[in-house]
Amino acid sequence: MRIVIVGGGIAAAYMANALKEQAPQHEVLIVSKEEYPPYDRIHLCDLINKSKSIEEIALELPSGVKLELNAEVLQVDRKAKRIYTKTSAFAYDILIIATGSSPRTLFGIDGMKNAATFRSANDSACIAGCTKGKNVIVMGVGPIGLELLDTLCMLEGPKKIYLVSRGKHLYDKAMTPSSVAMMKRIYEEADPRVEILLNEEILDKTVEENTLQKVVLTSRTIEDPFIIFGVGITPSAEFVKGVLDVDKGILVDEHMRTCDPSIYAVGEVAQLHNGYIAGRVRECTLQAEAAIASILGKEHPGFAEFVTIDGLKVGKFLLADVTSTDYRPKDEKNEEIVISSKKEGRVDHYITNDERLVRFIGINTNIDVAGLKRMIEKKEKVDAAYLYSNRLQSKRGKLICSCASAYEKDLVEIITANALQSFADLKPFSEAGRICGRCKNDVAQLIADTPVDPEEAARLKAEREEAAKKEEMETVRRRIKKFNALHPKNTIDEENLEEAMKAFDVSQEYNKWVSMITANMRLGPEYEPLVKQGVEQLNKIPIIWLELADCTGNSEGFIKSTRPKVDELILKYISLDYHELLMAASGDQSETVLEEIIKKDAGKYILMVEGAIPLGLEGKFLRIGPKGETGDQLLKRVAKDALAVIAVGSCAFDGGVVAAAPNPTGAVGVAEALGRDDIINLPGCPVNPISIVGTLLHYIMFEEFPKLDAKNRPEWAYGYRIHDNCERRGHYDLDEFVLEWGDEGAKKGWCLFKMGCKGPYAELNCSLAKFNDGTSWPVQAGHGCFACGLGKVAFDKYATNRVIEEDENGK
Amino acid sequence: MASKKIVIDPITRIEGHLRIEVEVDENNVVTEAWASGQLFRGIEIILKGRDPRDVGFIAQRICGVCTNVHYRASISAVEDAYGIGLPKNAEIIRNLVTLALFVQDHIIHYYHLHSLDYVDVVSALEAEPSQAVECAKKYHEHPYRNSHANISAVKEKLSSFVKAGRLGLFANGYWGHSAYKFSPEENLVHMSHYLEALRIQSELGKAVAIFAGKTPHPQNLVVGGVTSVADMLNPQRLNDFMFILKDAHDFIERAYIPDMKMAVSAYRDEIKSGHGRGSGNFMAVGGYRFGKAEQLFEGGVINGHDFEHIDSFDDGYITEEAGRSWYVDEEPTSPYEGKTEPFYTDLNEDGTLKSEGKYSWIKAPRYKGEPMEVGPVARMLIGYSKGSKIIKPYVQKFMDDTGLELLDFSTSLGRNAARAIEAQICCDYIFDFCSDLIENIKYYDEQTWTKYVFEELPKEAKGRGIFEVPRGVLSHFVRIEDAKISNFQAVVPTTWNASPKDASGIRGPYEESLIGISLADASSPLEVLRVIHSFDPCLACAVHIIDTKGRELSVYKVGTLCNV
Repeated sequence: MRIVIVGGGIAAAYMANALKEQAPQHEVLIVSKEEYPPYDRIHLCDLINKSKSIEEIALELPSGVKLELNAEVLQVDRKAKRIYTKTSAFAYDILIIATGSSPRTLFGIDGMKNAATFRSANDSACIAGCTKGKNVIVMGVGPIGLELLDTLCMLEGPKKIYLVSRGKHLYDKAMTPSSVAMMKRIYEEADPRVEILLNEEILDKTVEENTLQKVVLTSRTIEDPFIIFGVGITPSAEFVKGVLDVDKGILVDEHMRTCDPSIYAVGEVAQLHNGYIAGRVRECTLQAEAAIASILGKEHPGFAEFVTIDGLKVGKFLLADVTSTDYRPKDEKNEEIVISSKKEGRVDHYITNDERLVRFIGINTNIDVAGLKRMIEKKEKVDAAYLYSNRLQSKRGKLICSCASAYEKDLVEIITANALQSFADLKPFSEAGRICGRCKNDVAQLIADTPVDPEEAARLKAEREEAAKKEEMETVRRRIKKFNALHPKNTIDEENLEEAMKAFDVSQEYNKWVSMITANMRLGPEYEPLVKQGVEQLNKIPIIWLELADCTGNSEGFIKSTRPKVDELILKYISLDYHELLMAASGDQSETVLEEIIKKDAGKYILMVEGAIPLGLEGKFLRIGPKGETGDQLLKRVAKDALAVIAVGSCAFDGGVVAAAPNPTGAVGVAEALGRDDIINLPGCPVNPISIVGTLLHYIMFEEFPKLDAKNRPEWAYGYRIHDNCERRGHYDLDEFVLEWGDEGAKKGWCLFKMGCKGPYAELNCSLAKFNDGTSWPVQAGHGCFACGLGKVAFDKYATNRVIEEDENGK
Repeated sequence: MASKKIVIDPITRIEGHLRIEVEVDENNVVTEAWASGQLFRGIEIILKGRDPRDVGFIAQRICGVCTNVHYRASISAVEDAYGIGLPKNAEIIRNLVTLALFVQDHIIHYYHLHSLDYVDVVSALEAEPSQAVECAKKYHEHPYRNSHANISAVKEKLSSFVKAGRLGLFANGYWGHSAYKFSPEENLVHMSHYLEALRIQSELGKAVAIFAGKTPHPQNLVVGGVTSVADMLNPQRLNDFMFILKDAHDFIERAYIPDMKMAVSAYRDEIKSGHGRGSGNFMAVGGYRFGKAEQLFEGGVINGHDFEHIDSFDDGYITEEAGRSWYVDEEPTSPYEGKTEPFYTDLNEDGTLKSEGKYSWIKAPRYKGEPMEVGPVARMLIGYSKGSKIIKPYVQKFMDDTGLELLDFSTSLGRNAARAIEAQICCDYIFDFCSDLIENIKYYDEQTWTKYVFEELPKEAKGRGIFEVPRGVLSHFVRIEDAKISNFQAVVPTTWNASPKDASGIRGPYEESLIGISLADASSPLEVLRVIHSFDPCLACAVHIIDTKGRELSVYKVGTLCNV
């Protein structure tokens, strides 16, 4: 699937990261109008005072995510599933709009040299460079305005700095006059250039040659100004007006779906049906989670508003804000409790409604805001005496990170106990500084300021790493031990395996094979001894292999394509107790074997199924056994008590070639026939045997089957695109294509894309594992891939030697 | 005492879903038999309406065992329809791959799918390794991996396996059955080769993959040629191919052929009693040209074991009928003309076949109205009788070494002997095909594909691809209308051999071969398995013989899921 994200902010980067983590098989493209890769807007102030570079505030993107910069999306064509910029068009299967918002201004400032907004890296550069010697006017007193004021104070350039509010408040209308007065005083005392002007607005202005000459405010006229607007934002949804339902923002449901099922919107551009628009990082990430779950078809309750904790750290004071979802600023039933201390510059401002807390704003407060959040969530009654007695410094010290509720003393304790030396070291212990990122610097500073013994630190770090690895290896050992303790089926243990190996002269091959499997399962080399032990335990699990509407190709592959000699190992060391192609017994005798396993080993045996299940003609297109059971009946009977069911090959996955149009026998895959969603799928026509053995080994070693993707395929085998790891990829990138069978390019091994190779559509490990002991694979044979592992769609759509035209246009 | 019926389902160690029912008299002698294919997939229906150039992708999935030959035959049928010739190189590469498959298939068949009907694994444990070493020497001067150490190790290995009590694949076999005739030592030698053959077959898979990309389900053919031109031009690839075949050659000379001689010696009485002999009709189409004007196999038809008169083969005499098959009745017709609609009449209440009615998904193909046996035995007998320079000396030598007569090949074990001889011939002559390739490339012919412009090809055409393949004669018929496949039909080796009775009650080869064999123990019908396995059944291909031309498929729409 091709997922296109429009936007270059935190929401876009978060989406890209989470998508690649949860479903790496999809193609992810970010289209951003900015000239820089996504960066953290929270830290724009650091760009102005040059304490950080744009690279330093860049957001991490996983490899494999494609990025189109300087590309402003102008139009969305829902029918063609394409987006257009001025110069390009991009096809999508799923479109995610995360364009955020754009700042409002009080008058047009396009082309004006000494006026700016504060939203992008370019804005920061402009503010840092052009405010020198100017009388800077900051319009707007919300969090952004205050932070900007704080940042400007750090610059030497500005001559004067005015902060202008139309109302009589700072930060928020709910602030008490005493709080406002205190903040004003703190700012103005800290920097004599600062003047905060309340109850004022712009009455007039003079512009000459694109330069603002003067600005007339209510109380004064300011000459030689530089004006910055921080007066609010408008969702950047202009480009989809008329295409999607748009109010202020793009209208979405709780799963962030727009009116088009292929289009999602998250972050500041999205508006829930109750009018809500997210403003904080945490909200954007939760929205992203909801959208991803919906895209990947996972269960998710959807995004809901929640009690927020916000922190603002400017100049000499810390502002903390806890807001309930029930808070209505204009509700007449609101009551206020204010506890303040001039001496400490501290204000604790509670707003209650019906005796319940709905908001708290604190300046330099000592209150445990996480505790207040709980109080709001539980709708506890407010006890004013309790609030008063709790006003002093809490035992846990200052609140450092409001998102993770981490207090100074907690963090110091963690830092000293574990001798942490860097922000990265902290990760396993606390999420502090990692959620919205606003306090990251404070946390890092705290770590730098807390002395630890470097030797001790190094020792503890090594110890921790060792312990983590040990724990994982221990899990594996425990599992293997558990299998050892199982009622012995075959008596092959380590000792007589060695003997047997020697007898067959295979030990060397075997070791090679173990290394290969270890690497293929993406485990480190230190796992080899455990993988080896795991292999030895394979024979403890009874395996039933049913062939339904199949061609035996997977069985053939299974006994053939593993490393030479090791197929003996498979035959001997996997307890393949029932397999029609290979077993000695027939008829009644083979059926007795089957009955016995189902009865005696109920809940212990693994069922592997090869072939589709024909459901047409009441399943009678396939009948097996002395009683003439249909394939469907047999499957259901054997699957009932199986420990796990593995669908081997494309037919068992979704019917494969047997279900190709017009699906004459009504064939379906195992999961559909059983109506279960816990079937492990190993599609491929045939599947590479490495994928079968690796999956079984994983179960033995970790007590669970490997991590599965949305189609229940093990990620370690299906998390690649053939195209990405193709040996001919270099030729694709160089535009060197085979254009005719047997031409010069074909002789040189050029790319087969133009001969209809479907490698770009196929998620499989063929290009890494190859077939027949690594002898070759369809691309090496000059033929190209047809994505056989995608199931029946491969046979209806991809089984040609021609490029799929319509798919290039996004279907 | 009245006769009773024995049902054997599933027949294991074959490809596909086969059921055999036999009726025995009071002496446990088989008096009647029914062979029934129990799976219908309808690959031919799926092919209908597709672009003829894509035929190989789907037709290949008819079978995952003889996968390469369906790939080849279907594409050849389209090439025949359009009159597109093959460049020499492409023809040779296709032959190399098919012949490597012959060798691989025959080895897997004898050792892994069939030998356990003759070899008692449990008895091998009583063998004295030093005597086993000597025993093998009776059939070859230097038997394959015949050191005392190796044979002892095999025995040890088997012991630990059997002692463990859980036999995996060997569980519940017919061990100790009185029809087993090998001495413990002979059993041990066979088991040693059973294990070696696992390695050889996997190596042969690599040989196929060298030019075909992978196996099963290779991917190297397109209409007009082959794609593996880079592999063809890389001398290392051909070298690797030849080394694997040399290794296989060694195994055939020193293990497979000697084991077959050992089997003929131990089971001589069974052969001489005519165990598993059918009606004596054999058919082959011949083919595989190489060198100046030589060809590996001869075509022809033998009737009723008359080795003196070999008729020439003409595919115009092939008809198919469905009187006893789960299709609507029809008169015998040519595969080009046939009209077939599924018509399922179910099993009896107790799950047995309806002996008097329709009972199989396989249709009944006939040549001049007679059932025909196809496969290695047909090719060896026809080649010998026609005096083939290539085949006759091998068959003659085997007969001289074992004291068998020509008629003895028409038995269960005889079919196996013919198959082993054929593996030997293929493995010897494959090197001549390699020489042809080298010779051709040496003179700067690097062409692997015949150019054509699809849009300029006729919109209507019909063609066929007929080949000798490991199990017998394979023919694919294609009809193209409006540049799409309008009809596709495969008449495959197992269709011939596993054919049910026809409207006049004439049995198919499986059935005819079962008549008269006597079972030592009716509850362990090992003798039946011997007969059936000797044909090397491959059912996936046999059961979708359906021609849908001219009929609406909705006629047999059953239930809601069958949405055709």
